[in-house]
Amino acid sequence: MSELLVKNAYVIDPINDIKGEIMDIAIRDKMIVESVGSSAEVVDAKGCLTLPGGVDSHTHICGTKVNFGRYMSPEDMRAGRGRAQPYMYPVSGYSVPTVYANTYRYSALGYTTVLEGAMAPLEARHTHEEFFFTSLQDTMANTLFDGNWSVMEAVADKDLKRVAAVVGWTLAAVKGFGVKVTNPGGTEMWGWGKDVGCIHQKIDHFGITPAEIIDYLIQANELLNLPHSVHLHCNNLGKPGNYKCTLETMQRTPDLNDKRQTLYMTHVQFHSYGGTKWSDFCSKSDDVAWMLNRKPQIAIDMGQVMFGKTTTMTADGPMEFNLFRLYNNKWSNHDVELETGSGIIPVLYSRKNLVNSIMWSIGLELALMAKNPWQCMLATDNPNGAPFVKYPEIIALLMSSRYRNEEFSKVHPNTENRVHLPSLDREMDFYEIAVMTRAAQAKALGITGIGKGHLGEGAYGDIAIYPIKTDDIDPAAEYEKIIKGFSSTDYTIKSGRVISRDGNCLLNGNNRTIWVKPKIPDEYDMSKDPEFIKKFERYYSVSMENYPVEEAYLNQRNICIETETKL
Amino acid sequence: MKIELTLKPRKNPFIPVEAEAITPVTFLEKEAEEIKIWGGNREKNISEIFEVKTSGKADSEKDVEIEINGNCFFVKRVGEYMKDGKITVNGNIGMHCGNFMSGGVIEISGNSDSWLGREMKGGEIICRRNTGHYCGSGYRGEKTGILGGKITVEGNAGDFIGEFMAGGEIICKGSAGSMPGAEMLKGGLTIYGNTDTPCANMRGGTCYILGEAKDILPTFKKTESVFNPDFKKEFIVYEGDYANRSHKGKIFVAKQDRKTK
Repeated sequence: MSELLVKNAYVIDPINDIKGEIMDIAIRDKMIVESVGSSAEVVDAKGCLTLPGGVDSHTHICGTKVNFGRYMSPEDMRAGRGRAQPYMYPVSGYSVPTVYANTYRYSALGYTTVLEGAMAPLEARHTHEEFFFTSLQDTMANTLFDGNWSVMEAVADKDLKRVAAVVGWTLAAVKGFGVKVTNPGGTEMWGWGKDVGCIHQKIDHFGITPAEIIDYLIQANELLNLPHSVHLHCNNLGKPGNYKCTLETMQRTPDLNDKRQTLYMTHVQFHSYGGTKWSDFCSKSDDVAWMLNRKPQIAIDMGQVMFGKTTTMTADGPMEFNLFRLYNNKWSNHDVELETGSGIIPVLYSRKNLVNSIMWSIGLELALMAKNPWQCMLATDNPNGAPFVKYPEIIALLMSSRYRNEEFSKVHPNTENRVHLPSLDREMDFYEIAVMTRAAQAKALGITGIGKGHLGEGAYGDIAIYPIKTDDIDPAAEYEKIIKGFSSTDYTIKSGRVISRDGNCLLNGNNRTIWVKPKIPDEYDMSKDPEFIKKFERYYSVSMENYPVEEAYLNQRNICIETETKL
Repeated sequence: MKIELTLKPRKNPFIPVEAEAITPVTFLEKEAEEIKIWGGNREKNISEIFEVKTSGKADSEKDVEIEINGNCFFVKRVGEYMKDGKITVNGNIGMHCGNFMSGGVIEISGNSDSWLGREMKGGEIICRRNTGHYCGSGYRGEKTGILGGKITVEGNAGDFIGEFMAGGEIICKGSAGSMPGAEMLKGGLTIYGNTDTPCANMRGGTCYILGEAKDILPTFKKTESVFNPDFKKEFIVYEGDYANRSHKGKIFVAKQDRKTK
């Protein structure tokens, strides 16, 4: 039995409605309890800002496409080198760093839970292997269903229960966490060299529209009672004028769940573009934020772009091809049999570039215009918008309008006419930042019930103590202190053990994988469905017996969320 | 100021030495006892690997002259980020000599290993004998190689000399291996000897080949024949590479004198 007492902490815990109180937190054997004995190990927070361990609800750090990003960009490994230390392996890389670099840097930022945004079901084993070595964060993987033939055929048959059965079986088989839909239908069309225009264009062969896929998956998600909602990357990412498509998708989202959102829209910054072509490209974040404020059933993340080098990687193959034609740099494309695809290219977001400057501005506008911070989360779609190490800078930008103005004066001079950012003077406080970086994420992912994202009794002892004394700092003026404070925690505690101190990791491995297993009745068990088996035999390169991820690939310390389905 | 470094006999001479500290600026700013270099996986004082003799004084980098004696084939990264001054190597030198250098002179009397003057921005490197692969190129995944300055190789060069070359000048007095000037963007590459498959996917720049050039890619367009007074030779001009979007590069291949048999 190990005991830990965090003393004298200035706690902000939005889920338990604690808005800054000096208190002690007691942890016994991973979990937070009311009190511990006098022999407990003591961590003195010295009145510093103490938050629940950070939760990143959309990041790409594990899996085949991240690894392919590493293959493609050996030059990326020239940055971010770190020597081996006790409990730390040597690391390298900046936008697509090594697995250990990701986990060490996240722990230095105070993050203890991360969600891999897109895992192709067929390539789940690789993701789980990398999860095993993401040794300081609890991990989850959203599973891609955007071009799944079985799902699309069931949608074409208007058979909701079959959609749910396929989703449920696949999630349990690949040990996934949620349903990710990336450019629904688009990747399938990309197999024929095409893309879907918006949500009402029919997909070849299947005769269904992206809107139908989204609708059915949302309902199937609720039938399966999954902890997280459908995680949607809308159609038309990165195209001028795509905000209409985004608004339409938002407009038709029903409100089906009273505990959490019904639809999680990811990196909405990339979907809030006005204009018709790159020359009249402008921000339409006002319209998107207006719609978001009217639709409490939707949660979004910013997908903030920060200037510098990075690598974009997504399951959205056609979009990456368009980017490739724009940059004429390296490009990789990948097709995952009956399921999905992906594309990867390295990019450079430049201040001198008008389009990049507008993109940078849109992300911030979305966060500032969304009235409810629980609906808009802080994320960069790491590494697509920027590597996650830029989070402290984004926090500072949100907290200080002076910093925003200073940064704004350095971007392309024409940006001013195309964006709304200079007119926004909202400055967020520490509570809102705590919501946007952990509480809202935990709530959106539906993992508060298993004790993540808050500091109530019975929660996991995941705590981040930042070297920030909230009373002494004026975030609006001293934004540099905010950046420095959020860049490296004094202590990051995970499951009752100190994993990182001043940015140096102190132990190796107490991570868990969280996955979902819907309880599906026998008549909907896809592994016994003759048609489904036939599809596997005919089209898949692996047999159905070899498809599910074995226990050996799954992290031994895993949490399985079994859900009661309504099938 | 003159610094003489003589390699001490080593137990295992094949353990590489990472000597990015051997630049004029370190000797100007630090005493010899403070300078650390890596021998294998251990950080060592420079005097454990080299015998150091210092004479005279210097006010700026320009006055610092380093002389390296001994067979330093496993001493890497000598002269990295060098800005001014002079390094003379009496013997061979290891990989990555003159990385990123922006000024000064490195003179090597022996052979040099691969990546000589990679991504250099200025200054001059003279190699009196042969050099390895990737002379004046960019490192793995990098989009630009040598940006400025001059590399002269008096012997032969290995493969991929001047890969991603984006400026400056490389002269190879002997023959070069395969794929010289691959992905070249700018600058001038001159090869006095033979080579094959030159300037694949080049976008700009010029490449003179005075010897025989085997396997010029079919994506190059043979245009004209010009006389160059500098070399006193007739050259056939190839334009390309048409496999690329921009194809402003030019290869000049000397017409071979068929009479001398």
